[in-house]
Amino acid sequence: MPDSSVPALLELDSVSKSFGRVVVAEGLSLTVGEADFVGMVGPNGAGKTSLFGLIAGDISPDAGSIRLGGAQVNRLSSAARCRVGIGRTYQVPRPFGGMTVYENVLVAAQQGGRLRRRASYAFAAEALEVAGLAAEANRPAGTLGLLQRKRLEMARALATRPKLLLLDEVAGGLTDPEVAQLVQIVTSIRAGGVAIIWIEHVVRALTGSVDRLLCLAGGRFVADGGPADVLANPTVREVFLGTEVSTSLPGQSAGGQPDQEQA
Amino acid sequence: MSARTRQPASVSAAGLAPGVRVTRSRRSAIWSGLGAIAVIAVLAYLPYRVYSGTTSLLVNFFILLILASMWNLLAGYTGLVSVGQQAFFGFGSYFVLIGALHGVDPFVGLPIAVVGCAALGLVVWWLLSRLRSGYFAIATWVVASVCYLIIIRYPSLGGGTGEFMPGLPNINIKYLDAYIYWTTLAVTAITLVCVYLVLRSRLGLELTAVRDDETGARSVGVRVGRAQLLVFVIAAAGCGAAGALEVISAPYLQPGPAFSVQWSAEMIFAVLIGGIGTIEGPIIGTIVFFALQQWLAHYGTWYFIVLGLIAISVAIWAPRGIWGLISDRLKLFPVGYWLWPAGQRLGPPEAAVAGEDAEQVT
Repeated sequence: MPDSSVPALLELDSVSKSFGRVVVAEGLSLTVGEADFVGMVGPNGAGKTSLFGLIAGDISPDAGSIRLGGAQVNRLSSAARCRVGIGRTYQVPRPFGGMTVYENVLVAAQQGGRLRRRASYAFAAEALEVAGLAAEANRPAGTLGLLQRKRLEMARALATRPKLLLLDEVAGGLTDPEVAQLVQIVTSIRAGGVAIIWIEHVVRALTGSVDRLLCLAGGRFVADGGPADVLANPTVREVFLGTEVSTSLPGQSAGGQPDQEQA
Repeated sequence: MSARTRQPASVSAAGLAPGVRVTRSRRSAIWSGLGAIAVIAVLAYLPYRVYSGTTSLLVNFFILLILASMWNLLAGYTGLVSVGQQAFFGFGSYFVLIGALHGVDPFVGLPIAVVGCAALGLVVWWLLSRLRSGYFAIATWVVASVCYLIIIRYPSLGGGTGEFMPGLPNINIKYLDAYIYWTTLAVTAITLVCVYLVLRSRLGLELTAVRDDETGARSVGVRVGRAQLLVFVIAAAGCGAAGALEVISAPYLQPGPAFSVQWSAEMIFAVLIGGIGTIEGPIIGTIVFFALQQWLAHYGTWYFIVLGLIAISVAIWAPRGIWGLISDRLKLFPVGYWLWPAGQRLGPPEAAVAGEDAEQVT
């Protein structure tokens, strides 16, 4: 809320970034308040993941400023930004394959979450519970199937105790019932007061849950508003023409499928 | 899970739910600990039973074991592939020599060399920390060569030809060999315990995360650069200790062999054969390396051909090394965490383990 005297949680001011001649962000400005729930859509190559990279510190901007809670974070490394409250998941999950699921979450609680040993034990167990992974706690993370890896990404990001959580395509490549389970997890994280920006190609996962929807194309926001309005916007429909199909990741059926919730 | 309506992110990190416990391994580590103590006790008793030729061989074995454990921490956990650890090995030797030339007992010089090499490690890290992968590897080698070139400019240290180290206790050579052996055994045991404690600590969990996925580790707040600095300094100190032991056990010190890249080749071989990224791997690898050396020492060139073939075979068919082939079943040094759901007791949890193993068919 720009008119408030309290600084917004996240403020992007004219952030630009290009790789050679490819422009991924062109003067992007965005304000996200505490506990906001924002969805982001856009065609492939629109610059969505790059925007997350800019916010989370994997990519440094050519121009513009990024502030968290009023404090400039442009010069902080990605690890430092995580420690001040920006959690993120990756589109392609990055589990620590040689560690157990619980250890994966524990390192996040100890580092990003900056918890001492005893407190980190409890908080990591709690994060697993929220993500529905408690039964897999002692399994090597490398043996998880796709859905479980996505859950682990969320549990790990949650364990860093974020104020702002960036979710990148958590529903991609999953079946409808699986998507529903993930939406439920995201909703329960949100109920804990965490602000969320959620990139998703599976638009139906967003429409029922987010308060605000952004559409990004060619490194610029082309629409911003309530989900229904944005999806009805002619520019958005044009941008999406023929691409509004939920993509299916290759190899999703490999492993870990029969042992979901009911097992 | 569906019934969960309370606020997860604001959960007070007060304590685990009733009945839920966290231990450091599934099984008790007490047998591993007792086993390690028994092995050390047997090794410590050896000088009473065997000839000094055997203990001298074991001294060389322990020196390589220290080097391999250090290289494993560097490359196996933080991805710092150094081929210049001989810089610290050589300086470890020369610190002891410099001390001895000024009247410092070599056994007292050993801890001084360790501290000196740690300080040298800080300086070298400051020079190299911005380099990555291949550039880092080459730069470490360059640093080692520069160290060699610096040392040979000092005729007081023997220049390029070498210098005899004075100051070893003037006692029966049999007792001296035993003292050297015990010192080496103690330093090796301390090194391995340190490696174990580091990997068991919070830093160890960070290092293991970096080993598995560096970008992922950064994204959960792991300060990778800081972890790398700590490990680089630890490895410098450990290699310095090995170098100090080398000059004590063979007191004629020549700069060429001391700063030889051969040391790096041997530690890398031992780690890769044994299994990189595990505590046990360097131990297994060093045993294999020494066994091969004993078998094949008389065959000259064939020795190197066989070593090369073994290295290639392991790299292709067992990229996780010998220990990697068995580590899924066995962990000698538990450094992980095990989360016990409410109601489960410590002990053999048959049901849980059977269920877990059934799912792990990969």
